[in-house]
Amino acid sequence: MVQKRELIKGSSDSLLLCLFAQQPMYGYQIIKELEKRSQGYFKFKEGTLYPALHRLENAGLIEGKWHMLPNGRPRRYYHITAKGHATLSTERVQWQDFISAVNMILQPAED
Amino acid sequence: MTTALNHYLEIIRTNLRIDLAEGKEVISELETHIEDRLQELKESGLSEEEAEKTCLRLLGSAKIIARQIYEAHSQGSWQQALLAALPHLLFSALFALNWWHHAGWLSFILVLLVGTSIYGWWHGKPTWVFPWLGYSLIPVAAFGLVLLYLPREWSLLTIPFYFLFALWWIFCLVVQTTKRDWLLSSLMLLPMPIVIGWFLTLVPGAKITAETLERMDYFAPWIAVSFLILALTIAAFIRLRQRWLRIGLLIISGLLTLTIVVYFVGGKLSTETFAGLILVMWGLFLVPPLMEWFFRKTKRILQRYALFTPPHR
Repeated sequence: MVQKRELIKGSSDSLLLCLFAQQPMYGYQIIKELEKRSQGYFKFKEGTLYPALHRLENAGLIEGKWHMLPNGRPRRYYHITAKGHATLSTERVQWQDFISAVNMILQPAED
Repeated sequence: MTTALNHYLEIIRTNLRIDLAEGKEVISELETHIEDRLQELKESGLSEEEAEKTCLRLLGSAKIIARQIYEAHSQGSWQQALLAALPHLLFSALFALNWWHHAGWLSFILVLLVGTSIYGWWHGKPTWVFPWLGYSLIPVAAFGLVLLYLPREWSLLTIPFYFLFALWWIFCLVVQTTKRDWLLSSLMLLPMPIVIGWFLTLVPGAKITAETLERMDYFAPWIAVSFLILALTIAAFIRLRQRWLRIGLLIISGLLTLTIVVYFVGGKLSTETFAGLILVMWGLFLVPPLMEWFFRKTKRILQRYALFTPPHR
């Protein structure tokens, strides 16, 4: 359980950037999207999403903008910045290299 | 929203300790999240009470969220660190380069201190402004010194009023700062025991004489070193994220600088005076959190009172 939490923690920034690269999203939508796409694997305390979003925003990787809904409720949508796109590209390559290396070790050795 | 959820958001609000405008945005964002989640839970068939309990469980600890958001916002850039350390660096340069002899430099630094403090205070009170605010108390102290040179009767008449004014000024500044974060009050007041320590060494009779100027010349390098340590402390404070590290840094740096003052003064500052300075320093570190505790308690009592008081018709 601890290992899974550590894995999620280590990859949360890349996962969030990946989602924002597809479309701008708000907090609750991000939780639902992560849960749906990972078929329930990425489940965490919902409140902890916001510190991660604020950290990414302060690093200039995403930008939040308030939108007023027709029912008068404000919502903060986050979209990825140019710096965020560049970081995501680098992290994608690193992840792919990492996954390939892990797969090579996990696969049974051929005689 | 129910009382339990409001209480949850209140815990986050009081533990955030970030810029007020940013804090409001954080709470508004969480409110929207809670409303979305409650609506979905109720649509899935849960009662109001069950939905509330589930929502709180899914959100996680309010204090952890507040701490993590604080850490996401607390780290300043290197430019901000330099800006925050600048008043200490200027005071260090004042003594290292013997600028303190020149009225021009003194006036320039004084105007810069007051100007930057006013600018920062009216532009969102960023963290870098608090060290500047601490030094803006020096003109108040200098004015008190000037009063000592008035004819005796005038001095006796004006000094009590001056003390009341100076205490009121410091109190207002500390209260306003503590409402945001008590740690910023401690940051602001950090140079005070050091300045008092040097003042007691250089001007024991509270009047500036030719001997005072000689002593200042002699101790100038060590005064510069003590302000340099403060500058490095502030720069590190701005760059650190974790609150406990920031608190530890201020305490260690304060003690280290005071020790330097006592060590290099070489017997001119007695053990009793050093103990007194340590007490003043602990006071500076304890008064702001106690004030914050008092404000929060008062706020809670007022909120409870408002809950039980029927609205005016």
